[in-house]
Amino acid sequence: MNSIIIGQYIPGKGFFYKLDPRTKILSILFLMISVFLLENITQLAIAIGIAIIILIIGKISILKVLKGLKPIFVLLIFTFIFQVALNSEGAILSSALLHFNIFSVLTSIVIFIIWRLLLQIGKFKILLFFIFVLALYFNFRYLSIGQDFYSFRLTIYEKGVEMSIFVVLRLLIIITLTTILTLTTKPTDLTQGMESLMHPLKKIGFNSEDFALIISISLRYIPTIFDEAQKIMAAQASRGADFSEGKLKDKMKQIISLLVPMFIIAFIRSEELADAMESRNFVPGEKRTRINILRFSMIDVYSAVFITLCFIGTILLRVMT
Amino acid sequence: MGIRFKNVTHEYPSYSKKTYKAIQGINLNIGTDDEYIALIGHTGSGKSTLAKHMNALIFPTLGEVEIFGNNIKSKRDKNINYNNIRKRVGLVFQFPEYQLFEETVEKDIMFGPMNFKKSEEEAKKLALEAIHLVGLDETYLKRNPFNLSGGEKKRVSIAGILAIDPEILVLDEPTSGLDPEGKQTLMDLFSDIHKKTGKSIIIITHDMDLVYRYFKRVVVMKDGRISFDGTPDELFKSDIIEENHLDLPNTIKVLSYIKDKFNLDINIYQKIAEEAVQEINRVMEYE
Repeated sequence: MNSIIIGQYIPGKGFFYKLDPRTKILSILFLMISVFLLENITQLAIAIGIAIIILIIGKISILKVLKGLKPIFVLLIFTFIFQVALNSEGAILSSALLHFNIFSVLTSIVIFIIWRLLLQIGKFKILLFFIFVLALYFNFRYLSIGQDFYSFRLTIYEKGVEMSIFVVLRLLIIITLTTILTLTTKPTDLTQGMESLMHPLKKIGFNSEDFALIISISLRYIPTIFDEAQKIMAAQASRGADFSEGKLKDKMKQIISLLVPMFIIAFIRSEELADAMESRNFVPGEKRTRINILRFSMIDVYSAVFITLCFIGTILLRVMT
Repeated sequence: MGIRFKNVTHEYPSYSKKTYKAIQGINLNIGTDDEYIALIGHTGSGKSTLAKHMNALIFPTLGEVEIFGNNIKSKRDKNINYNNIRKRVGLVFQFPEYQLFEETVEKDIMFGPMNFKKSEEEAKKLALEAIHLVGLDETYLKRNPFNLSGGEKKRVSIAGILAIDPEILVLDEPTSGLDPEGKQTLMDLFSDIHKKTGKSIIIITHDMDLVYRYFKRVVVMKDGRISFDGTPDELFKSDIIEENHLDLPNTIKVLSYIKDKFNLDINIYQKIAEEAVQEINRVMEYE
């Protein structure tokens, strides 16, 4: 679970750490809008290029970001598969008849077992998955011995492939962008930035300070609660409730044995926090001073110019084509 | 048999490039019976990490832990029944009150035994025995665990582990946050269990008075390594105490002060306050 990078701040030095959080939030917002405005793969490729350049400027290792994407990988694969299978526009790329007969079903089970066995090695998991899917495909495609009890025509259309690559790439870029933001901005800076950006909304009755406080407290407590969860899991495992073993029925009970203490701890913590804040004379709604006052500097101007150019560029692309 | 650490190192992942070694190169043997071990050391010296290895909650990064013939290595092994290890080695955490979740104390104590495939009647019986063991009466069984005081919660959660009837009992600071009387009751309870059943008990503690008074063996941790392994008597007579920033028991402190101040021929190594008083009286009369 330690590989979850999304939403994690990692201390470091570099271009993005020096940027004002307000600039960062607005830049990322505009870049995301730009990504949604893009229409075809060539434009997206350019966008990826820009994203990589941004990563290089910020001295953020691409590998680190990719590792952080791991949990979303399943989602991306599913998006890809559904897009390929369900989209039926454009020219037909390939059309294959899949044969389901006793023989091919048996071999598919063998392939499945081999795949599970190979997984024991523990390396190349994603590669193995692709090989598995390919093997299954060839298995059903060419093994037409005996009577088929079911056959299925799998047709892949040009537009389907294009769209699926498009959607996946778009998701990848957006996630990378938000990862850059959270990776290089302290949660406190992030909320301070948001608070400052939403300050004008006070006129319509939206209190940005309260909102920022809520966000910063919840962000602050994610790691703490996570820590507590691990402690409780260990404690319950000591009483025989191992979360990685057991049947579904036992799992229900195990989850309850985790959730109840979690809620209780959360309530205790929040009460303690409220007391601690009040004892330091925190009054909601009262004007507060800050240690760090946000200031724009020259690099903020540079990045603002860069982002504006990107944004205008994409709008022009959209309008021209 | 028992628990055997063979050159065990455990690293915690860290976001900076270096991993953090909580314990390193640990070699330690813990027998199945008649061990009564105090695990002491500074905060952050790796005591809790060591304890978590004892029932395979975490796996060593390097080396091997042998628990009742099962070799625990860095990877999860499908042939090992980890739940079975946890039945044989019971681990009570530092804040066990957080693990309570059922609506009655009885059900909560039964949670462990039921997980280890005991029938409901058996579990009920075990719960009754366990609640008596920790010095509470059976009226507590029907109460809500969340309405108990801190000390009572602690005892109930310890009962939850005792009900599993493990062969080795590991406790992470069971006396922290308790009043002196509660401490005494709990320590007497552990000594009692140890004497009656001969089970091995390992207790992490910071209280040198308890270490000196109750334990047969002391393991001192420093910076993730074992810096001393022997009897309390040896420990408090050696210079290791200062090297490891440990404290002396109060009896020794007081008696050695009296000894230096009045230049008496007094035996400063007394385990209990009453014995210390007797020793002072003896020397005074003699003088």
